[in-house]
Amino acid sequence: MAAKDRSDVLQGTLDMLVLRALQLEPMHGWGITERIEQWSEHVLQLGQGTLYPALYRLERQDFIRSEWRVTDNNRRARYYSLTARGRKYLNESLEKWRRMSRAINLVLDAVN
Amino acid sequence: MGAFVDAWRRLRALVRRQEIEDRLDDEMRFHVEQQIEKNSRAGMAPDEARRQALIRFGGVEQARERTRDEFRAARLETLARDVRYGLRSLRRHPAFSAMAVLSLAIGIGANAAIFGVVRAVLFPDSPLTQLETLVNVYETEGGRGFNPVSHANIEDLRKGTTDVFSGIAASTFAPAPIDRGGEVAYVMGEAVTGGAFALLGVEPLLGRAIQREDDIARGGHPVVMLSHGYWQRAFGADPHVVGRTLRMGGRNYTIIGVAPPNYRGGIPALTPAFFVPIAMVEELMGVELLDRRDYHSFFARARLAPGVTRAQAEHAASVVAASLTTARPEGWVPGERFAFVPTSDVHVYPALDPLLRAAALLLMGVVGLVLLLACTNLASFLLARVLDRRKEVAVRRALGATRGALVRQSLIESALLGLAGTAAGLVLALGLLRLLLSIDLPLPFGMKLDLHFGVDAKALFDWRVLTLTAATGVVAGGLLGLVSAVQGTRADLGSALQVGSRGSDAPGPLRWRNALVIVQIAMSLVLLVGAGMFLRSWQQMLAVDPGFGRAPTSIVSLWTPVARLTPEEAMQRTRRILARLRAQPGVEAAGLAWPLPLEFSSSGTDFTLEGHVPPSGREAFHAERMIVDGGFFDAAGMTIVSGRTFNEADRPGTRPVAVISQAMARRYWPDGDAVGRVIHRPDLGEDDLVVVGVASDINVRSLGEPPRDVVYETYSQRPRLPMFHFVARASDPERISLALITAAREVDSSVQAFQSMTMAQHLAMSRLPSQMGAFMLSAFGAMAMALAAIGVYGLVRYTVAMRTREVGIRMALGANAAGIARLLATSGLRLVLVGGAIGVAASLLAARFLATLLFGIGAFDPVTLTGALLVLGVATWLAAYLPARRASRADPLTALRTE
Repeated sequence: MAAKDRSDVLQGTLDMLVLRALQLEPMHGWGITERIEQWSEHVLQLGQGTLYPALYRLERQDFIRSEWRVTDNNRRARYYSLTARGRKYLNESLEKWRRMSRAINLVLDAVN
Repeated sequence: MGAFVDAWRRLRALVRRQEIEDRLDDEMRFHVEQQIEKNSRAGMAPDEARRQALIRFGGVEQARERTRDEFRAARLETLARDVRYGLRSLRRHPAFSAMAVLSLAIGIGANAAIFGVVRAVLFPDSPLTQLETLVNVYETEGGRGFNPVSHANIEDLRKGTTDVFSGIAASTFAPAPIDRGGEVAYVMGEAVTGGAFALLGVEPLLGRAIQREDDIARGGHPVVMLSHGYWQRAFGADPHVVGRTLRMGGRNYTIIGVAPPNYRGGIPALTPAFFVPIAMVEELMGVELLDRRDYHSFFARARLAPGVTRAQAEHAASVVAASLTTARPEGWVPGERFAFVPTSDVHVYPALDPLLRAAALLLMGVVGLVLLLACTNLASFLLARVLDRRKEVAVRRALGATRGALVRQSLIESALLGLAGTAAGLVLALGLLRLLLSIDLPLPFGMKLDLHFGVDAKALFDWRVLTLTAATGVVAGGLLGLVSAVQGTRADLGSALQVGSRGSDAPGPLRWRNALVIVQIAMSLVLLVGAGMFLRSWQQMLAVDPGFGRAPTSIVSLWTPVARLTPEEAMQRTRRILARLRAQPGVEAAGLAWPLPLEFSSSGTDFTLEGHVPPSGREAFHAERMIVDGGFFDAAGMTIVSGRTFNEADRPGTRPVAVISQAMARRYWPDGDAVGRVIHRPDLGEDDLVVVGVASDINVRSLGEPPRDVVYETYSQRPRLPMFHFVARASDPERISLALITAAREVDSSVQAFQSMTMAQHLAMSRLPSQMGAFMLSAFGAMAMALAAIGVYGLVRYTVAMRTREVGIRMALGANAAGIARLLATSGLRLVLVGGAIGVAASLLAARFLATLLFGIGAFDPVTLTGALLVLGVATWLAAYLPARRASRADPLTALRTE
C-alpha cells in the first residue's frame, strides 16, 4: 500500500541518499528519514523496513559506522556517520549519478 | 592481517547475534517513539498518534525481519560466492588441483590406515570393566620374562590368595576338530575358567556365559560359548543358535551363548572361535595338562578384592611361591615367582609390548613424515597459485577488494582442496587396510596374526583418527598457504601490475617454495634409505642358511590323542605312523620334532655337568630342548657329526639318551669327546641323559643367531606328547602333504592334522618381521618419493610457465630445444642436489636408530644409500625434465605472444 509506494526507491539510489543525508553530520535512523523527507519536499518517505536493512548493509560494507549517543533531549540513540570509504563511495556514486541523470535528461529532452 | 579482523568480526557477529537483535529493537523503538512524538506535536490524540506512526512505517516485525536478513544472509552469501569462485578457479587448473588432492589423499590415507591399525593393536576396544582392579598374572624366573602359568600353579595361587583376589580367570589354547555335517575342520578355541566372564565383567551377546557350575567336574559339562566372529562365520549370526549342539572332538557340546564382538578372550594375539570350560579341555584335546606344572600355557587375570592394593596381593602371592619352592613339586623352578602387571598396562603381552610400541612409533613417524610431505606439497601449490595470480590480485585490489577478502579466497580454496583430499584419502585408507588384512601370513592353526585385527577393514577404520589427520593436514597446509597468501597480497599494487604475471622478481614467496621442495626431497630420501635398509636386511635374511630344511620338505603337524594309552602303546603308534610316512612314494626321508626350530614356541632344559661350574647365581646350565626321532636329522638335512642318532633300542625303560648340538659339544668338551658323557638334570621328572651323538648346528630361535646349546631327546623315551610335527623330505612337498595326512589316518583314524605347510613357508615365517618392515617402509618410501616428485614437477612446471616469454626470445635468437630444456630443468635439479645433501645427512642419523631393527647390515650401508639416491635422482630428474622439455618444444611465436 502506501508503505510500498514510499519505499519505491531504486536500490542504488537508496544507498546514495542515505550516505548523502549523513554527509554533513552523524545522525540516527529517525533523523535520516526526516532529513530525506525534508530535502525531497516530502516526496521520498523511507519506511523502517527499507531504512534499517540499508543501514546495516552499508555498515557491513564499511561505508558507515555507528555508535550509541545521547540526543538533545536526553534519549539514547544509535548515531551513524560516514567512514572515509563511505565518503569516497558517495562521491563516486554522485558523480556517476550526475552523469547518468544528465544523459537521461538529454535523451528525454531531445524529443521536445 | 585484514583476514583475521574480518574473521573475528564474523565470529563475533555469530556469538553476539543477540546483541545485534537488541540493538535493532532499541533503534526501532526509538524510531517509532520519535514518530509518535511528531504526530502528537501535530495535534493528534496520543492513541491516534501511535496508530498513525505504526501504520506509516509498516509492520515493525516485518522491518525487523528484513534487517535481520541483511546481516544474516550477508555472511552466507559471501561464503557461497567465495566457494563458487574457488570451485571455478580449481576447475580452471585441473592439473594443479589433481596434484594437490592426490598429495593430501596420500598423506591422509596413509595416516588414517596406520593410526587405525596402531590403535586397534595397542588400544583395542575392550568390554572388561573396572580395569583398575584387574591384573595379568605371569610366572617369572628371577624377575626375567613374563611366562604363562601352569594350571596347577594357578590353583595353588587361587587357594593362597582368597583374601586379596575376588577371583582368578585363566585361559588356555583349546584347538579342536569341529565336525559340521561330516566336514571336520580344526579350529582354535579357548578353555576358560568358569565364572571368568562374570569376573571380568563381560556380558554375553546372546544366551549366558560359562559359569562356575560349568567348570567343576572334569569332562562333566560339555557346553560351549561361541565367539562373535565364529558365530557370524559358521552360523550366519543365527539368533536362535543357543540350545543347538556343536560336535567337537567326538562329543556334542551344547551352545549356551555368544560372546560380544569386542571380546577376544584371554589369550594374547588370538581371537578364539569358541570358549569351553577348563574342565573340558583335557577331554577335548585328549591330553592331560591340568595337573602338570610344566605346561605353562595358561594366561590368567585376577581381580583385586575391594580395598586391596597390588602390593598386598604381591605379598600374598610371594607366600604361595615360597611354599611351592619349599615343596618343590615337579616343574616348579626355585626362584620362580608370580608377577602381576595391571591389565590396563598390557597392550598385547608384556614381553612383546616394547617391540610393538617401537614398531608403532616407527610406523607413525614414517606416516607422519608422509603427511608432512603432503602438507608441504599443498602449501607449495597454494603458494604457486598466489604467485600465478599476482596480477589478478593486483587488479582486484585496485578495484577495491580488501586484502582480507583475497586471503579468505585463498583459505577457501585450501579448504576445498582439503575436503576433496580427505574424501580421496578415505578411499585410499580403506584400500590400504584391506591390503594389510589380505596379506596371507604363514601362521599356524590357520590363525591370523590378528593382534586384535578383527576381520573387517571397516572395523579398523577410526573416524576420530581420520578427522584428526585430515584436520592436521588441512590446517597445516592451510596455514602455510595462508602465510604465503599474505606475503603474496602484500606486494604493492603498482609494482605487481607492472611486473605482470611474470613474477620473476618475487624472491620472498619463491624462496619459500624452494625451501619446501628441498625439505621434501630430504625427507623422502630418509624414507627411501629406511626402506632400502629393510629390503637389504630381508635380502640378507634370505641368504642365511639356518642349518636345516634346505631341501624341499613337507611338514604336517599331527595330533594323536594319548590320554588313554600306555607309554609303550603311544610309542608304538607313533613309530607305525613314521614307518608308514617313510613308505609313502616320493618321500626321501621322514622324522618328527616338537617344537620345530624357528617356531614361536621353544622349550628348554636345565642341566649340570661334572667338572663344569654353572655361572654365578645360577644352579644349572640351560640349553634349548627338542623332542625328535632318529630320522629327524636326516629329514631336516642336518648331519650327525659324531656318535649316532636315536634308534629302536632307545625306548621307554632303557637308559635315557641325548644328541647334542655341535656348539654345545665344543663348549663343554672341546677335545671332541662329548659322546658317552652324562647330562645331569636337577628338575624332578627329568632323567639324566647319556650323550650318544652330536648333530650339526642349526638356528633355533632366530635366523642368523650364533649357534646355541641344544639337547635333543627322543620321542620314544617321552612318549606321552600328543602333538608332533612330521617332517618329510620330498621333491614335491606341496602335493605330498595330503597323502601324508591320509597315510597317518590309515594307521590310526583318531589322528588329526592341525597344520600342513612346506619348509619354505615355515622359514618364511621367521623372516616375517623383516619382510613386513621392508614391505611397509618401501610402500611409504614410494609414497614419499611420489610426493616429492609431484612437488618438483609442480615447481618446474610453474617456473617454466613463468619464463615462457624468455624461452620464446631465446628460441627466436636460435637456442635449440635441448639447451632450453636443460636450462629450465636446472632450477629444479639444483634443489634436488641441496635436498639430497641434507637428506643424506639426515638418513645417516636415522639409520643409527634403525640399525637395532635390522639384520646383517650396519648403520652405514653404502649400497642402500647409493640405491636410494639413484632412485630419487631418476624420479626427480624426470619430474623436472618432462615439463621443461614440453616447454622447449613450444612454438616460439606463441611463447612470445604469451601474456
